[in-house]
Amino acid sequence: MDYSRPLLIDALASSYVQGTLHGGARRRFETLLLAHPAMRNAVHRWQARLAPLSQSIAPIAPPASVWRGIERRLFGAALAPQSWWQKLIASAGVWQAISGATACLAMVAIGLLSTASQAPVVVVLNSGAGVQQFVASVNKDGHSLTLTPVASSAAAPSGKSLQLWALPSQGQPQSLGVLASNAPYQLQTSRLQAGLLSANAFAVSVEPLGGSPTGLPTGEVIASGKVF
Amino acid sequence: MATPDSTSIELNALLSQVGLGQRSALEALYQRTSKHLFAVVSRICPQAGLAEEVLQEVYINVWRSASSYEASRAHALTWLTSVARNKAIDALRKHKHLKQEVVVQSSDDSSEGQEEFLHQVADSRLNPSQLLEQASQSMSIQDCLDALSTDQQKSIALTFYEGLTHEEAALKLAKPLGTVKTWVRRGLQALKPCLDRASISAA
Repeated sequence: MDYSRPLLIDALASSYVQGTLHGGARRRFETLLLAHPAMRNAVHRWQARLAPLSQSIAPIAPPASVWRGIERRLFGAALAPQSWWQKLIASAGVWQAISGATACLAMVAIGLLSTASQAPVVVVLNSGAGVQQFVASVNKDGHSLTLTPVASSAAAPSGKSLQLWALPSQGQPQSLGVLASNAPYQLQTSRLQAGLLSANAFAVSVEPLGGSPTGLPTGEVIASGKVF
Repeated sequence: MATPDSTSIELNALLSQVGLGQRSALEALYQRTSKHLFAVVSRICPQAGLAEEVLQEVYINVWRSASSYEASRAHALTWLTSVARNKAIDALRKHKHLKQEVVVQSSDDSSEGQEEFLHQVADSRLNPSQLLEQASQSMSIQDCLDALSTDQQKSIALTFYEGLTHEEAALKLAKPLGTVKTWVRRGLQALKPCLDRASISAA
């Protein structure tokens, strides 16, 4: 089919905007739109022409659950204020209480782990009871991370895996991978679009062997730490 | 192309802010436009719960693609309505496809029939032809519509407002498929120059 023919384009665009173009033809047309500005123009013109017809439909208020669903799906908020990562990010006070001992450990960690010329950012991941479990060291470029277990309790229970998560300030946790047991975990990544330093916090959760089946943390969080 | 009235300026600005990732702008845009879009979507997807699902998809799509919106090309509301109509049409077709599969598997669809009957009884809204009539009056495009035959108006109203395919509209109007296709196509072509003039004089 010669898609450069203006009359044909106009007919397809009107049928697409009107809604009668359907099935495979509709999909094909949508794909072609991406590559053909003349088609996009024709669609825009038909959308503008037919826009007045929608104005006579009397408005209907959607149920409040719709907006809550949008928020939850986009930002992981609203219905999930109880989720642990929300609390983690919200509870700034807890992070102020990290002890001097932690700071000392952090300094040691820099010495041990830094291989880059610039000093890395060090994050200590504590258990809920305040016991240090892991030290995460993130390079200044934000694209590599080393996670070192510092406690014997920082190991996966038998038949389970430990998974590392980055917690952005908005939205859902992003997996940084499943940890090898009891060995420093090295990660070179472009997985986080804006780099690891955009994360607000890191956390480690217990997941089924091989990692979370859902792409989000499902099990107990055994350690977490906030980036300062 | 965009008429510079205060509402569209405001919506354009909100949509641009959404494109920059501002959550508060998305919420404001939702408050301003969701009633209209929900009505548009509900017309096409009257099935219980489907319109709500589609409306969520619409705003999620808006959040993700608002940066591609070009204010110079379209009113924000036209753009949003187009996103909503496309999502609704896709969902309707998918839903019908699934429903057909279910019907094949189960002969007991009486409860579904009852539900649709109750829905129709409770539905006091305007029918598609009345909507088209009202749109033409309020938007001063009556002369555009007057140039169309009643059959052309009916088939355009059914396909536009309820998202029916040519085949479904032909069944509903009890007319041959080819005839209905021609009514829609010729009707739209007849509307085209008139709607263009109307949008220019409104701008």
